[in-house]
Amino acid sequence: MIDVIVIGAGPAGLAGAISCAENGLKVTVIDEFVRPGGRLLGQLHQEPSGEWWNGIKESEHLHNEAQKQSIDIRCGVSVYNLEKDEDAWNVHTNIGTLTAPYVLVATGAAEFPIPVPGWTLPGVMSVGAAQVMTNVHRVEVGKKGIIIGANILAFAILNELQLAGINVERIVLPEKSPLSKNAGEPEVVMKSLLNAAHLAPSPILRFGSSFMKNEGFRKLGMKFFPKSGVKVNGTPLQLRKAALEILGKDQVEGVLTADIDVNGNVIKGTEKVYEADFVCIAGGLYPLAELTAVAGCPFKYVPELGGHVPHHSEKMETPLEGLFVAGNITGIESGKIAMAQGTTAGISIAKHAGKGSTDINEKLEQAMKNVHTVRQNAAIQFNPEVANGRRKIYELWDVFYGKEQDTLQEIG
Amino acid sequence: MNNKEALVICRCEEVTYGQVFATAKEHKCTSRELKLRTRAGMGFCGGRTCRVMVDRIIESIVPNTEEGDIPLKYQPPIRPVTFGTVGENHE
Amino acid sequence: MNRIIDHPVLGKLDDRKKIPFTFEGKEYEALENETIAAALLANDVRTLRVHEESGTPRGFYCNIGHCMECRVNVNGQANVRACLTVVKENMVVEKGKQHPNIVKRMVENR
Repeated sequence: MIDVIVIGAGPAGLAGAISCAENGLKVTVIDEFVRPGGRLLGQLHQEPSGEWWNGIKESEHLHNEAQKQSIDIRCGVSVYNLEKDEDAWNVHTNIGTLTAPYVLVATGAAEFPIPVPGWTLPGVMSVGAAQVMTNVHRVEVGKKGIIIGANILAFAILNELQLAGINVERIVLPEKSPLSKNAGEPEVVMKSLLNAAHLAPSPILRFGSSFMKNEGFRKLGMKFFPKSGVKVNGTPLQLRKAALEILGKDQVEGVLTADIDVNGNVIKGTEKVYEADFVCIAGGLYPLAELTAVAGCPFKYVPELGGHVPHHSEKMETPLEGLFVAGNITGIESGKIAMAQGTTAGISIAKHAGKGSTDINEKLEQAMKNVHTVRQNAAIQFNPEVANGRRKIYELWDVFYGKEQDTLQEIG
Repeated sequence: MNNKEALVICRCEEVTYGQVFATAKEHKCTSRELKLRTRAGMGFCGGRTCRVMVDRIIESIVPNTEEGDIPLKYQPPIRPVTFGTVGENHE
Repeated sequence: MNRIIDHPVLGKLDDRKKIPFTFEGKEYEALENETIAAALLANDVRTLRVHEESGTPRGFYCNIGHCMECRVNVNGQANVRACLTVVKENMVVEKGKQHPNIVKRMVENR
């Protein structure tokens, strides 16, 4: 008999599984990937303290902890449906149906695509794909690359590609369209980068350019942004250039670009082709919530959190009895936050299951506080307004479900 | 984006921006109807890649749709499975 | 071979066993516990399949199992994700191939 099924062996799922097990619950973790760690595996950046955040080491550490707790971790398992009968959740997978009274959905995030003509060519990949190939599989994605899209994720991975000796020739914007939206508008992109600059993951990445650091220039804005771009650790960031088409016959051979004005409109006659053998598309992240959607969980669109997130409390409960969430499915934040949320979810599940010691309530309070502390000290922040987004969803919870929960607790 | 008629939105079914845009414009329809009409998002990956882009095209065309208005509706299976798997036929 | 042998932070690539496999009838070597997509890329192979209808070449896009672009045939089983499948000794991997869409042709010719 399993007490808890955790879907996703990333930072949130593993931390959640560990805290469930520590409180006496029997846990099975399932994940699609070949090894545990989720998107944590690919992460590699220098903390403000100078120490390296090595996702592979962190994943191994979590995996070891989980093994100590005799947690059953199964990789290579895909979940295709999640539904509840009277008293238990059924998790339908490619290896059969697993059943348990509690499920923690920690499926993380997915990347926004940005369709560009030619993007189906081999050699075009999401920027996250390049991260996994580089840091997890240790295979070069190419000799000469171009990143399309300028955001925090793109910079973090640019840094990782550079560390591995992969040559990224330039970062350009996608062409402005209803598909790329703000990602194609130089002024909007620069503003969002500046907002996040002080929070970026490494000292090098903190927009190590004199142009960006100079307030005078910043005020002048995009009009005076150098055509050749500003260098980010050696790679030109060209906010006044857009990718019009990815060129190649059987695989990527180059990118057709053009200069753009401050609003992202293409300036005719400025077309130029740059050679490349790989292209990364960086559209940013959104919460991967499809499993909670099929389970019947209601949603709220919260832009600060990256998109549609399932209704959930600060204790990581959803409105569906026995269903809990943690990590990027609740909003796009760093792996450290995901871990802290996972721990909270685990304690929360233990409490619902009537497990844990007499101090379970204090433990839960402590875990929730810890999420705030980790957020305040975060070196990487995807959205500066994330705390506001969190508040919105917790307020919504109080309005919709707060009373009911209180009553339940009184009765219980 | 004038020359982007042939831009592939749905990689699985090779449905283009031109097709999705024209259909959305003509029918001012819901995301579901747009998918059924064009097959965008109906291929092997079940819209896992292009879904948000199809929604953005609707937002850009259909009046009074704001970002986030399109409800998050998913149907199982959310991963391609064989009939054998759904039938719990595990040898 | 395009493996990242030395990494300034992650260190040297482990010395792992070499696993022989074939792709489109040609022999290649993967490292132990490597996915099909990674092993083929390390051998300079980017095209994993062609689109069923149009025949346009495709490689991996998301590399984490969402996009299904990297699906290949493995030991006769169709539609296996190369990015999530570890190479096993003497595995026979083949591209996803172009197939005529008879129904669509009939509709078009109506």
